[in-house]
Amino acid sequence: MATSNIKLLCLNISKMRIGSFIINRSHSMKPRYRPPYWYEQKERVITEDFLTKDNEDFLQEILQDRLQKLPTQDSPLILDQVDQTVQWNQYTRRTGLIARKIGNYPMWTKDGKRMLTTLLQVNDNHVIKYIPPDEFNPMIIKNKKWKENKRLGCLLVGSENIDPSMVTKQYCGLFNTIGMLPKRHLYRFMVSPESALPPGTPLFATHFRVGDHIDVRAKTIDRGFQGVMKRWGFKGMPASHGVTKTHRRPGNIGSGGEKARVWPGTKMPGHMGNRWRVLRGVKILRIDTKYNVLWTLGVAIPGETGATCYLYDTVLPLKKHKSSPPFPTHGTKEDLPPEFYDEIVHRFEQPSITFEED
Amino acid sequence: MALAIRKSSNEVFSFAKWFIRRECRVYSTLPESVEEVTQQIEETKPKRATGRRAPKILEYRHAYPEFLPDPNPKWRNTLREKLERQDMLNRRKQIDIPEFYVGSILAVTISDPHAQGKSNRFVGICIERKGCGLRADFTLRNVVDHQGIEVRYDLYDPTIQKVQVLRLEKRLDDKLFYLRDSLPEYSTFPFDMDPEILPEGAPVPVNPIQVKLKPRPWLERWERQELKGISNIEEYLKEKDRVRRELRKTPWEKYDLMKDYRKTIPIEEQTEIWADVNHQIQQLHLNRKKSSRKRTFTSPKTQLA
Repeated sequence: MATSNIKLLCLNISKMRIGSFIINRSHSMKPRYRPPYWYEQKERVITEDFLTKDNEDFLQEILQDRLQKLPTQDSPLILDQVDQTVQWNQYTRRTGLIARKIGNYPMWTKDGKRMLTTLLQVNDNHVIKYIPPDEFNPMIIKNKKWKENKRLGCLLVGSENIDPSMVTKQYCGLFNTIGMLPKRHLYRFMVSPESALPPGTPLFATHFRVGDHIDVRAKTIDRGFQGVMKRWGFKGMPASHGVTKTHRRPGNIGSGGEKARVWPGTKMPGHMGNRWRVLRGVKILRIDTKYNVLWTLGVAIPGETGATCYLYDTVLPLKKHKSSPPFPTHGTKEDLPPEFYDEIVHRFEQPSITFEED
Repeated sequence: MALAIRKSSNEVFSFAKWFIRRECRVYSTLPESVEEVTQQIEETKPKRATGRRAPKILEYRHAYPEFLPDPNPKWRNTLREKLERQDMLNRRKQIDIPEFYVGSILAVTISDPHAQGKSNRFVGICIERKGCGLRADFTLRNVVDHQGIEVRYDLYDPTIQKVQVLRLEKRLDDKLFYLRDSLPEYSTFPFDMDPEILPEGAPVPVNPIQVKLKPRPWLERWERQELKGISNIEEYLKEKDRVRRELRKTPWEKYDLMKDYRKTIPIEEQTEIWADVNHQIQQLHLNRKKSSRKRTFTSPKTQLA
């Protein structure tokens, strides 16, 4: 009898759970970052395939064939299919574009002022996939209410065709389903459901209009580990007058008393650049429809020449669209003038500027 | 045997020196210096006639240096350069931007909202020409009422109404900043200068004038820059300056192939660029010829008046 009691006691003890005593730290711990579920691994370990010359040529031939076919394929965006009844309003979010910064050069206004412009090339942008708001379930969400509202869908856009043999099979599979070559850049834009686009829709620079303002998101130039003078613009210390060994150093980094420690956020040396930054409210001055190039005002767009950047409609309240932009996007490319200019821009093919006497 | 090897290596070295001095110069975007021209005319001419000669298309690089992009690979982009060249040509169709060099005397008319008559004409000697593409600019210097004046113009600025070359010539140096420290008569030019017209097809003359510097203080250490256009610099130098000039000399730099390569656009890329703009530049030349013929007919009338 006693043994059975002991057994029963042991059983009860073993049933006792200690889970409730563990401090639930989920509110303070961020979930580990994983790539989003719509993404597949892109980089492939390049191995020697021991192909003969003929086979290599054959692969190249196929690639060239597919590349040549791409522009002739009709756009699947048939404007009849797209719901024409839905109109743009100021709360709708359109898709953005993936562009490449290709350089700066000056242009002049009609009253003779010089302004520097940045050129952004929109190269082979295509819609790859649309995930409606109900199905879209990202891992990390900053705004907790977002999950309850669930009003934005996820639109995948790719840019720049690449050789399929340079990426993994599963990455190619993302594009094969819609009959495209794999893209170098794949990015998601959060869009409202009415501005969703069917997969395979090409996006052009004419998605934006001349005179519009855009937000540009890009990575800043990587400057490596930098001192305090370059990173934060500190003054440093005098070059002479008895100063030794502290010409470019920060000096004091804290005070004594109650605050006898280095406060968080103190500006110190460290890695500079290579961070995502958004430049808001950049004006578009000129659009080339043949090469899909945007000229934007100013040279503050992050990144060096050749950097990839993402273009969105601006969120600045005073610079938002006043009237409806091309919605959901500018579909056809035919019958367009080769270039659009903003009204303040002086075109180079116009005669010289002269001022009239009052 | 050892002697033979030494001799052959010597020969290779001397050939390399010869090659660097002559051939690398040919494809450089920098203006040719005069010393080479005067010394090598007799030597190089027969050799060039035998075969190795830069194609005619490459000769544009002297008259249109801004069509070549900046050689820094960080700033290169084929599409950007193409669009930029097209814009430059579009501007050149509107206004005749003539061929000129550092040392030429120019008259530039710009429209200026604050000037009387809304336009402004300035005459001066070109002391610097720099920049690639639409950023290209040049600086004119003149002395007006005993006051030295320099004006920097953007070559493709649409407010420029007219660029006229009054005297087409080169000087002994690539940059003439030393005119700021020289006697004012060397940079004084009358505003009513008449344009001097060279016979067609004649080479651009080099003016061998050497200026006289004012005594110190100077804006720069001219003695360290190996300038050929200054005659009296030695009389202002102290022993200390001469010693430091010797210490600062970099005589090895003319053998630095890599440095030369980084400063220039390779010949293959240059031929592509010039082939791209060749047709339109020729059209501009034709237009210029037509307008110059018109000018010869109208000029006697103005003289009579």
